[in-house]
Amino acid sequence: MPANRPATWDHEVDVVVLGTGGAAFVSAVLAADQGAEVLMLEKTHQVGGTTAFSGGVPWIPMNRYMKEAGIEDDRESAITFIKRLTQGKEPDPKFIDLFVDNGHVMIDYLHENTPVRFATPKGYSEYYGHLPEALKNGTRSLDPEPFDLNQVGEWGPLVRQNPVFPPLTLAEGGAVGGIDFMKIAERMENNIVTMGRSLIGALLKGALERGIDIQLNTPGKELVLDDEGKVIGVVAEKDGEKIFIGARKGVVLASGGFEWNQELIKTFLKGHVTHPMSPPGNEGDGLIMAMEAGAALGNMTEAWYYPTMQDPTFEYEDHVMNQTGGGRFGPNSIIVNKHGKRFAHEGTTYNDLPRSFFEYDPVALEYPNEAPNWMIFDQQLKDSQMIITMMPGEEAPEWVDRADSLRELAEKIGVNPDGLEASVARWNEHVENGVDPDFHRGTTHFENILGGGGNAEANLGKIEKGPFYAIPVHLGALGTNGGPRINEKGEVISLRGNVIDGLYAAGNAAMGILGPVYTSAGGTIGPAMTMGYIVGKEVGAKEAREIKEAEALAL
Amino acid sequence: MPNGTHTVELQVPIENIWNFVSDMNNWAPLVPGYIEHEILSEKQSTWKFKGDLGFMKKTVKLQIDILEWIEPSKVTFDLKGLSDNFTGGGYFEAEKITDAATRMTGHLDITAGGMMGAMINTILKNFVPETAQQLTEAIAGKINEIEGVTV
Repeated sequence: MPANRPATWDHEVDVVVLGTGGAAFVSAVLAADQGAEVLMLEKTHQVGGTTAFSGGVPWIPMNRYMKEAGIEDDRESAITFIKRLTQGKEPDPKFIDLFVDNGHVMIDYLHENTPVRFATPKGYSEYYGHLPEALKNGTRSLDPEPFDLNQVGEWGPLVRQNPVFPPLTLAEGGAVGGIDFMKIAERMENNIVTMGRSLIGALLKGALERGIDIQLNTPGKELVLDDEGKVIGVVAEKDGEKIFIGARKGVVLASGGFEWNQELIKTFLKGHVTHPMSPPGNEGDGLIMAMEAGAALGNMTEAWYYPTMQDPTFEYEDHVMNQTGGGRFGPNSIIVNKHGKRFAHEGTTYNDLPRSFFEYDPVALEYPNEAPNWMIFDQQLKDSQMIITMMPGEEAPEWVDRADSLRELAEKIGVNPDGLEASVARWNEHVENGVDPDFHRGTTHFENILGGGGNAEANLGKIEKGPFYAIPVHLGALGTNGGPRINEKGEVISLRGNVIDGLYAAGNAAMGILGPVYTSAGGTIGPAMTMGYIVGKEVGAKEAREIKEAEALAL
Repeated sequence: MPNGTHTVELQVPIENIWNFVSDMNNWAPLVPGYIEHEILSEKQSTWKFKGDLGFMKKTVKLQIDILEWIEPSKVTFDLKGLSDNFTGGGYFEAEKITDAATRMTGHLDITAGGMMGAMINTILKNFVPETAQQLTEAIAGKINEIEGVTV
């Protein structure tokens, strides 16, 4: 239950923001710009949350950088495209309009009032570029410009870092191939960061310039409500001690998703996410606090899924790191289940492919594609692509299963050998014919996004040259996408449909406003920052509640 | 080339230091992130340890080949990655100051190769000297403990 009112507050501010990711920082900056005194509480020892760990790319229709690059876009096209993807499964269609109308305004605001700068990534396009409704001549994704982390002084080393993202922009190939390792070394020497670290670094600088107080290692634990159910403060924890923080205007839940909380995962998600890819602090703290305050929930069955792979020698914060992997778009690879059978187009987007893992067979009474599934590939792919941390031309490390025959490989990994042999034979037949009638490999844009879209030459290739390799593919998530239901101001709504006064939510801690849809690169951060912008303006401009001594002592 | 050298002075005779350092089994567990090692021959061994780079940890396996034993003052070795693409080497050197005091120096150099070499070497630039320092001090601490020297 929410905490009782304290006898006295340890601190009093206008706005308390829980979390330090993209949504949190944007809401804090906007609240401060309305004149509010803002305190940000970060659970972990570093700032940046899921955003710092990501590519830092927001997907924003009609943004200023597109215009500067000569990319045409309009409101109706953006809305039509989003609705084509949501298929009516968004929590409330008015949020689509809200996002499209406010996203580019948010980007303008950050450009004009903070050090945040983006560019339209050259040569990049939309994940669903093959759809008629998709933007055809560029992208709505925005690439953070390189940021000199020395600008935030002693805070620099405290900005969270994804160890597998080199300091290159999206356009420079930071996430997808084309890596210039000399440039990486030079930027590392000079403390120049890109992607999520750049976005958070710039937002952090903006926050510090405004005098926003940021407390690390200080998780928000409970909301404090008054007798009318209004949120009037937060109980946080610092060095094992409870601290009571009174909020004159409101509390913003922007503390990330619940992908590291197995109980919540099992309760809400269709698929059992076992390999989250975000920082381990995302345990649903905001969701739990909102539920305690009587919040209604929205979009709870959704996550930003990812088919993850692991290099077991590579750890992040005491966990083997779940990585993007690679190779599954490559011509000489397929993904099979425990029966040795293909079950989906392997090269679809990372948010789409894992949805095929949830299938239930009502006759066999099993989930045939439940992870781990297996990426099977041959020496040709090994020689041509970086797979997880394996470089082409270098010997495969000992943790990769391999064998001279497919049968031997199947037996080694516990997959049906007859099934695997048959699947590979059938795949090779499809390659021979230049078409995959089973799952349509080579037909979607995403699987060859840097090469103009999928095609037989790029995405279909025989698995025939030994040794053959197998890597487990786990069900991962970049974050979850459900949380307290919010209105168009970002205020949290109660189970009875009323506003919970003083409580706001944004980002992965809130209901995903576009439902299950991951529009393209930045489909998570774009809506999150947009709601952060709306929330920050709203809560910052709210009339401050007077904290009377008598009230604070009214236990 | 990422490298580091660290020197300590011990109030211990050089012979005692040599007795300790010349047997790998004595100091193997003192290597930062040590997991296991296997002595293959008098001059060759394999090692597994987990390197803590601050923002991540990486388990690596490497092979050590002893190049030279100069009793009681120096042992030099080469190293090469078995799990990852890197090479290097190092030495322990003991120098007599007095009959009861010795100067001990540890040196380590590691260079990553391959396509990612330039990037990894940037990371190793801090890691290697820190490891050289930690290992040298850990060995010194252990010798002091065995010899009953209080510092």
